[in-house]
Amino acid sequence: MKDFIEIKNLSYAFDSYLAIDDLSFDIAKGEVVAIIGPNGSGKTTLLKNIIGIYSPTKGEIIIDGQKPQQVRKRIGYVPQKFEFERSTPITVKEFMSLEKCNQKAHGAKNINQALNQVGLEGVEHKRLSSLSGGQFQRVMIARALLHEKEILIFDEPSTGIDIAGEQTIYDLIVKINQTKGTTCLIVSHELNIVNKYAQRVLCLNKKMICYGIPEQVINPENLKKLYGIGAGLYHSH
Amino acid sequence: MPEIFQYPFMIRAIIAGTFVSVLLAWLGVFVVSRRMSLIGDGIAHASLAGIALALLAGWAPMPTAIVLAIIIAIVIFWLEKKTNISNDMAIAIILTTGMAIGVVLLHFYQGYQPELISYLFGNILTINMPDLWTIIISTVIILAIVALKYRQLLFTTFDPTGAYLAGINPGRYDLMLYIVTAIAIILSIKIVGIVLVSALLVTPSAFSRLFAKSFKNFLTITISSSTLIVLIGLIASFYLDLPSGATIILTSTTVFIFGYLLKNILKIRNENKI
Repeated sequence: MKDFIEIKNLSYAFDSYLAIDDLSFDIAKGEVVAIIGPNGSGKTTLLKNIIGIYSPTKGEIIIDGQKPQQVRKRIGYVPQKFEFERSTPITVKEFMSLEKCNQKAHGAKNINQALNQVGLEGVEHKRLSSLSGGQFQRVMIARALLHEKEILIFDEPSTGIDIAGEQTIYDLIVKINQTKGTTCLIVSHELNIVNKYAQRVLCLNKKMICYGIPEQVINPENLKKLYGIGAGLYHSH
Repeated sequence: MPEIFQYPFMIRAIIAGTFVSVLLAWLGVFVVSRRMSLIGDGIAHASLAGIALALLAGWAPMPTAIVLAIIIAIVIFWLEKKTNISNDMAIAIILTTGMAIGVVLLHFYQGYQPELISYLFGNILTINMPDLWTIIISTVIILAIVALKYRQLLFTTFDPTGAYLAGINPGRYDLMLYIVTAIAIILSIKIVGIVLVSALLVTPSAFSRLFAKSFKNFLTITISSSTLIVLIGLIASFYLDLPSGATIILTSTTVFIFGYLLKNILKIRNENKI
């Protein structure tokens, strides 16, 4: 399959601190790829390079033959933390109406439809700050669905969500991937989730530790390299 | 005709007050939502340098202060985006530097400085026709820009990353908000004064947030309450013979306290019903 996202010799440094060191891998169109690694391993930095907010210190990122900044309208991003002034009143509908494009199908009239697709009904007039973590993640996904984003990037989508909510979010991601062919990148800490939902996994600790099919590359040896601990974390079933 | 309308200076003050109250309210909702309430104080205090320079050189204070305020806004933006200096640190540095330059410049100004007191605490008697026209024209231009770019400003306020991914340049809108807020603050100085102006930028939004159910609602209540506060403050200052700026700010604080108490009473009543 033709490479859709190509990461070539990517390095990124914050002043003198090297966050990502010579990373190369590629993602095919329509794949679900998980990124795992310990805290401070460069996962969020990698995502921010892919969406083009950060520019590589060395190397390059090519998405469908173009630089990330040129294709950014085709990317949806669900951050780990969404910080805003919670006492400011903004409704779900107002929030989802912020993005505008010329396509009629992406207009405000279709907001309810997008919310229904992610299992949220009757929330459009609720204040954004009144939503639970899981509901908020689904609003972000609904916004990406509304604008038919080709690439969806999730930075630890299950943070602050209970187990049932987490299952719903991942099931939703897989459903979107299968029905719309959306390429999905997911940062996750949970190996069982990676095994269950991802077609490929990138093990990152500043450098690439492994990349491939989860069943093949998530093994005690790689986990030890990644986390400094071994088989205790690993369950093959 | 009521006595208040028999004085041309009061008519000028009421017109100017109405325009700046709408302007500050509209910008205030963005300023408060971005947690940058301190910027009003910073720009207002730093503009003392511009006013002192204008008084010393014999230039028109308001246009001079507007130019300087725009420069200050650009410097704060640059410090915040291009260095490791945080927003509140950048504002604190600029605020104190501007004031210090102002004080040094005024040291060389000979004689009594009544106009300076007017700029510090506001004095509606000093609003002349050129000031009024400057306020009206600038307000109309800024409101037109803000209305035209309302969605982009709101998007970059709540979700800068989402805005970027939607093809918007968030930095451009941040800078735009800084500059128009700086101009709005200078336009309001003769009414409420350097020391008090930031309250008019923040308090109506703080009041409105207590009751608003949506952002549209938030904007509408903020503009209405801001206009009402300024008009009540001006009328009260006229009939009670009190300084206009301080009376407007005390009116806004009273309105906020009233709103806060009302909100809590309504909350307790609703809880008792359940």
